[in-house]
Amino acid sequence: MRLPKFSCVKVASVEEASRLLAQPDVETCLSAGGTELLPRMKYGLSRPQKLISLKGVAAEAPVLGEDGSIQLHALMTLSAVAASHLVQENAPVLAAAAAAVGSNEIRNMATLGGNLCQDSRCLYYNQPHDFQFTAPCFKRGGDQCYFIPAGKKCRAVFMADTAPALISLGANVYVVGPVGSGSIPLEKLYSNDPLRPVTLASGEILSRIIIPARPMQRVEAFAKFSWRPGFEFSAVSVAVVLDLDEDRQTCRSARLSVGSIAAGPLRPLKAEAVLAGGRLSDKVITAAADQAAAEIHPVPHHGYSRVYLTECLRAQVRRVLHSAIGPLAKT
Amino acid sequence: MGGLDYVGKRILRKDGPLKVTGQATYTVDIRPSGLLTGRILRSPHPHARILNIDISRALQLAGVRAVITAKDAPGIKHGFVETPRYPADQWPLAANRVRYVGEEIAAVAAVDSHVAAEALSLIRVDYEPLPAVFEPEEAMGTDAPEIHPRHPKITDPFSNIAGKTDSGWGDVAEGFARSHYVREDRFQSHLRTHGYLEPQVTVADFESSGKLNVWTSSQGPFIKRAKLARTLGLAQSAVRIHQAYVGGAFGGKIDLFSHEFCAALLSLKSGRPVKIEASRDEIFSAYRHGQPLIVELKTGVKKNGALLAQQIRVINNCGAYRGSGAVIIFLSWGFVMLPYRLPNLKYEGFAVYTNNSVRAPQRGHGAPQIRFAVDSQLDMIAAELGMDPIAIRLKNARQSGESLPNGDNVHNCGLSQCIQKAADHTGFQQKYGRKRSTAGPTDPVRRGIGIGVSSYFSGSLIYPNSSSVVVKMNDDGSATLLTGALDIGQGAETILCQIVAEELKIPMDEIEVIAADTETTPVDIGSWISGNAYVTGNAARVAATEVRKKLLELAAEELEANPDDLVVANKSVYVAGSPDRRLSYGQLIAAGIRKRRGDPLIGEGHWRTMKDVPFHPSLATTKGRWSENYAFDAQVAEVEVDTETGVVRLLRAVTAHDCGFPINPLLVEGQIDGQVSMALGHAFMEEVRMEAGRTLNPSFLEYRMPTIHQVAVSEHIDVITESYQKDRPYRTKEVGEGYVSAILAAIANAIYDAVGVRLFETPFTPEKILKGLGKI
Amino acid sequence: MVEYTGKRLIQLNINGEQFSLAVEPQETLLEVLRNQLGLTGTKDGCGTGECGACTVLMDGKPQLACLLLAIDCQQVKITTIEGLSTGRQLTSVQEAFLEEGAVQCGFCTPGMVLATSALLTENSRPSEKEIKKALEGHLCRCTGYNKIISAVQQASAKMTRNVT
Repeated sequence: MRLPKFSCVKVASVEEASRLLAQPDVETCLSAGGTELLPRMKYGLSRPQKLISLKGVAAEAPVLGEDGSIQLHALMTLSAVAASHLVQENAPVLAAAAAAVGSNEIRNMATLGGNLCQDSRCLYYNQPHDFQFTAPCFKRGGDQCYFIPAGKKCRAVFMADTAPALISLGANVYVVGPVGSGSIPLEKLYSNDPLRPVTLASGEILSRIIIPARPMQRVEAFAKFSWRPGFEFSAVSVAVVLDLDEDRQTCRSARLSVGSIAAGPLRPLKAEAVLAGGRLSDKVITAAADQAAAEIHPVPHHGYSRVYLTECLRAQVRRVLHSAIGPLAKT
Repeated sequence: MGGLDYVGKRILRKDGPLKVTGQATYTVDIRPSGLLTGRILRSPHPHARILNIDISRALQLAGVRAVITAKDAPGIKHGFVETPRYPADQWPLAANRVRYVGEEIAAVAAVDSHVAAEALSLIRVDYEPLPAVFEPEEAMGTDAPEIHPRHPKITDPFSNIAGKTDSGWGDVAEGFARSHYVREDRFQSHLRTHGYLEPQVTVADFESSGKLNVWTSSQGPFIKRAKLARTLGLAQSAVRIHQAYVGGAFGGKIDLFSHEFCAALLSLKSGRPVKIEASRDEIFSAYRHGQPLIVELKTGVKKNGALLAQQIRVINNCGAYRGSGAVIIFLSWGFVMLPYRLPNLKYEGFAVYTNNSVRAPQRGHGAPQIRFAVDSQLDMIAAELGMDPIAIRLKNARQSGESLPNGDNVHNCGLSQCIQKAADHTGFQQKYGRKRSTAGPTDPVRRGIGIGVSSYFSGSLIYPNSSSVVVKMNDDGSATLLTGALDIGQGAETILCQIVAEELKIPMDEIEVIAADTETTPVDIGSWISGNAYVTGNAARVAATEVRKKLLELAAEELEANPDDLVVANKSVYVAGSPDRRLSYGQLIAAGIRKRRGDPLIGEGHWRTMKDVPFHPSLATTKGRWSENYAFDAQVAEVEVDTETGVVRLLRAVTAHDCGFPINPLLVEGQIDGQVSMALGHAFMEEVRMEAGRTLNPSFLEYRMPTIHQVAVSEHIDVITESYQKDRPYRTKEVGEGYVSAILAAIANAIYDAVGVRLFETPFTPEKILKGLGKI
Repeated sequence: MVEYTGKRLIQLNINGEQFSLAVEPQETLLEVLRNQLGLTGTKDGCGTGECGACTVLMDGKPQLACLLLAIDCQQVKITTIEGLSTGRQLTSVQEAFLEEGAVQCGFCTPGMVLATSALLTENSRPSEKEIKKALEGHLCRCTGYNKIISAVQQASAKMTRNVT
């Protein structure tokens, strides 16, 4: 498969890229690792005249702040995130999520920022349209959905694995833009609109990810469920971060985040409430999983039906909670 | 006759060093200078009349060197089968009608891929869409859209019949009447594809001398030459297919493909070499896949489990052209006939045209689908009779020397040993029926064990019907082996070399292989129909034997000895008991040149699957001999079912196989492992998902082939029923296709053993498991 | 900031050799290796980063040549399958792939061999789990992977033996 023709600007900084991206008269596209963008371009889904490449910008090493927060550069590769001792110690849920994305080669190329800013996906959309599905769907600017022909909206799903992990950690992201820069909660980055799942405005670039300090009594876990782990996108991904009391039995607060079941990551807030404030037990975990399955209505995708995804979600939430608190049960 | 030095040994691949260093040349790597890029325009409609094709704007585009449509073709149809009953039914480029999404309409050759893509977008095609039908049972309905005009020789009351096979023996009605227990089930398989890593690709280079040189990723050059020459209206002598290594095929690269025709015609028109390489999405959405079968199966048994009668109806969704659709319904009969004794059979197979892409053989070519049905049902019958799965199979397994209803003989048959050994090795009877769990009763993961059996033919009579091999000696005593056989990964070059090495006692690395070139190598049946080792192998043996005879005659003269007293060893000949009276091959060849006017030492060998049988069996009636050799196997699967997610894992596969005589056990194991992995994909994950003729998952990302994480432990048990004797023909049986079949049935049976869910449709997805468990 | 428009001369370090090549911005490393340099050992199985056949080592790390722009590969040491062995002398990894029967059609082999070499350079005694993790992005349709896993284990044994 070949790439269409374009020109390419290799920038020296994110700020420079931001200025170039905002050029009004040229269709531009930002490229970091390229593992999502290049296939899209080969399929004809993105047709930039000018590619703004961040490949020349070195990823800075993770920084542990004085307040205990950690700052990750958006251009870190997923391999680097997964292998970082700082991440492994302070945010193991993220290390696990980063290690679960794609394959080894993909992780060596793909960046954390790129993963967080990827587009939503759909079987009908993520393929060339030379002779199949040639009339454009919503996502290609048309007015139809192949998946639900009578449907009035797009049903593409946001599938990045690191997003649920970082949301469960309560991470913020620092956005560099042509108008101004600043940080926002990662959760606010997602619109839950499949046509534009990431809320960045023109010229805005996610440059850093800030994970708040890790409290002492925290347990966390991540589960990616797919038929072929280490190869394909998640059917469902679940991240959980539980902050416990001194007794390490009582849950002070819980953050759960689920990916690949909608146009953005979702938090089952009622399930979080089931966990928070009480003693953790098998019964509570099962209740929380049932609650998550009751309050989240997965969008069927990639051949998985809604009922199946709901059952998977239930099982994964239960398992991820058990895996998070597993060592506790023994103490 | 002394021990074997090369045959039967785990000898490393001849082509291995080239492949691990990246030096092996595949068709994708061929780049003659001046190469143009070819691309194909495909139909967006599953069924439509072509009203007009306007190529004028494409022709005017700078950098375009040729544009072709059906008007530029000689107007000759082709087909995988071409017989009076089944005449060719497909144009290389669609003429007036398209019958599936992706059908080829026009092709361009341009200076680069950007110009080629733009040229395609400038071709205007006016269509009149027609009603389309995608499911075979719907297509059989009398009010279904007609995809091809009715075939005069197939007189069913059904529409869109592309092929029909009727067969049987005995009296099934009487058989069922005498049966203690009769059951009827319906099984359905799904659409899968080959998943070869090297894409479909052809380079055609028409020389001003009038020769068309072609490199193409295929399974045998001779059938390609015949079909390409004919559809282009050229003499066979004007077409040369060159050798290139093949990055996998599995049945998907046999027949003539439109891109081969187009590359050739574009080269003819442009006078430049042209390469057409299919993109992965084209392969998934427009090329040939395997064939899903509907199998309606009624079986009657005696109280003791002996099969009495079977009535089978097979319906094949064969796509828009006949392809191998009429073959698989014939073969499916055979895969019913083979492993178990069956006194009464009534068999009906239908190949039904639908508006889907054309279908190809795929590893096993019907056997996995049929064995899944028969061996799943046999387990249900056994349970009903209170028998265990091993006992019922041993009861019905064919034995050595049995004659088959079609007049073939199974000769040596190790099926019973295979079943017994596979069961013993896995502790089958101790594990079966326990619904075992890995941890405690709360553990959601259950384990199960299951068995299946299969049998496969080894070569049959089909174009070009025979294989020839030439072995010629070089001055230094090394040899050159000329064979038309193509190494597609199975190891053809290696095993043929082993046979020559054995007969002549020449080290492997002193035998040069020249392979698969229609101009320089003798004819060969090709790397399909599972006959390479047996047919081409025996041809190689005969050729090498002839050279040895000539060497011995020379040696007898030179050493003044009786030829019977001579021994061949280590590239030399000596008198038995007097190792000093010895001449090297080099010396003998020098003597030959001196004494015999320079006559070179060349041997030729020919082999045919069945020497005295003129034709292949009838596809319509199954009458006529089919094969001389049948391989048998029993496979046991152990699975783990996650009852919360529905995910099933194949943990362990044990294959007990009677492949006759394994020429190279290392390669045999490689074939078995690969098939276990393919069956695993077939069973759990792989599916070409289609909607109204369009493919939803045209990529490796979404078509779920197993990765290294899905690997199952694969163990092999040899049941060797043949010996290799020098100078004598031997029945090496197939190992390339049959072992994908029993393991599929075994997996289905193991899932039932684990969780009590009986699945009648492949693939065994997590969703179906949870449904079976009543969880969703 | 450097802008690439149309054909431009770039410098690539491939298998220890420095190349000056005229490439356009949209050309991938894979296209340049195969079409301009004739280094056809790097295979193109899908073009979209899904099969692993085009794997090359970028400063020793396996990456996918079909998803790398050639202009982005200038500051890196690139190793392709052609850069592993010299003449008839195979590396331990190549030998092990041959001896264990891990090669059939051979189309995935260059990528598998490079990914294995990178793994063993970083971790000379990988566990089976680590082997699978390193090769998870490499599709092989012929072998069913078992013999590939054995080959990596054997190569590991050979290399550690050679060191001690």
